[in-house]
Amino acid sequence: MAVFNIRNREIECKIVYYGPGRCGKTTNLEYIYRSFTKQVSGKMVSIDTDGDRTLFFDFLPMGIGRVMGCDVRLQLYTVPGQVKYSSTRKLVLKGADGVVFVADSMEIRREKNMLSLKDLHNNLKGYGSSVFKIPLVMQYNKRDLEGQIPLMSIDQMKKDLNAQLKVPDFEASALTGNGVGATLKECLKLTLKSLQRELKWTE
Amino acid sequence: MLREAEIYGSQGLFRESLQKYIEARKLIEENPKIKNRASLLAAVSKKIRSVEKALQEVDQAPAATEMSSQEQDLVKKLFAYSPDKDQDAIELEGALALAKFGQFERALAEFKQLQEKDNLRLAASKNIIRCYMAMSDTDSAVDEYTRWLESERFSRRQMEHLGAFFQNMIDKRGLDVPLPALGTVQGGDATVMENDDLAEDEIIDISSIVIHFESGPQAGKQLAVEVSFQTGNVVSLLISSRDKEFIEGLDVGVKLNNLQFFSPIAIFKGSGVVTAKTRIASGPKQGDYSLDIRITGAE
Repeated sequence: MAVFNIRNREIECKIVYYGPGRCGKTTNLEYIYRSFTKQVSGKMVSIDTDGDRTLFFDFLPMGIGRVMGCDVRLQLYTVPGQVKYSSTRKLVLKGADGVVFVADSMEIRREKNMLSLKDLHNNLKGYGSSVFKIPLVMQYNKRDLEGQIPLMSIDQMKKDLNAQLKVPDFEASALTGNGVGATLKECLKLTLKSLQRELKWTE
Repeated sequence: MLREAEIYGSQGLFRESLQKYIEARKLIEENPKIKNRASLLAAVSKKIRSVEKALQEVDQAPAATEMSSQEQDLVKKLFAYSPDKDQDAIELEGALALAKFGQFERALAEFKQLQEKDNLRLAASKNIIRCYMAMSDTDSAVDEYTRWLESERFSRRQMEHLGAFFQNMIDKRGLDVPLPALGTVQGGDATVMENDDLAEDEIIDISSIVIHFESGPQAGKQLAVEVSFQTGNVVSLLISSRDKEFIEGLDVGVKLNNLQFFSPIAIFKGSGVVTAKTRIASGPKQGDYSLDIRITGAE
């Protein structure tokens, strides 16, 4: 639910990082906060438990400058991944203009990835959208653990999560930052294209 | 195996870590030829205890905690969705956002302030009941309700509405809580806020809907449709391509003020808004339409 101020030529859009618990959503935002200092326009807010697990959400405001004559402001959010925070997850997802689905590459998290994608679909459906309609990018995170523990192959992950969706996907390591920027840029590109169509926004 | 367990633990995946440590312990126990078996077993057992403790802490973490007042302000700012810029609506949405994030104490304080405004009194009062019930504090909810009954701030119609709303919540929770009778509350018209949308937990399972068309080429006609799926207050309908003339007037955003809902336990009237319309492109229902309606009010 982007906010478009026609008079001031300002647009504010919301991108939500979704995925199973401990998949690296907050780590993505932390890396963006540290590395994209020029674009970050405020403090990153994290409301989490002692165990460093997101309890409510993380929030990071950014300003990416002018796009097609409009000043674009971006709000990045993460949802709490743990199953028990289902209602908070749905609340944070409300009004999302784009979604990054962060999948955990660890073999033992295969089922959790699929359940979380299904949960995303159900929650979007509750808002009259779906994973097929919303600008969506898939990220296969934790590739830096290759060789240390059993990871799924990228082919396997694509087959599990992206065979039907066919959305842009990226290998990543939120810890090292590899693929984090590319994921965000692609999601932003898709989101802005979609908003241009929806809001009939021209220069 | 121990390395895997260690990495899972470092990733915060305590259940998976514990599983690996237990497997490792079993392997060590079953293999007497392992060097330093006794000390290895002791080390693994110590790890298991430590992971079990971490797991317990995660499992026992509260579902909601009290945020700082700055965080609560941020929640109000970020999650108060109001399509218009009406200050009253923004304030109500802000208090609702706090309640939805489990910040009941502050939400209650804000709803009580909003009760002072005539146009928000009913919506604020309903949310006060919701907050107390969410906090499992039925006694306080009844006390508040009793005070409202005794005050002269509410019309009879408003109190009837609040009474029915409260009773419904009590029934849904299977509680046996008698509410005080309406008695001699004065009459008068209630002012119900238009954006006082129904919360999801107020919606019962709906099996079918009759849409009464009030304007457009189908004005005066009605369409009965079965509900194919329901999530909260959004119902999905499958409309046959044979009813194409009806579907043409049901575009996304269209408000439907005259709906009749049929459920296994009740029939009621209400309103809704079309939130999605999709023509089915393949399969046995090809050519038919999938329509989502968000229920915004019920009588």
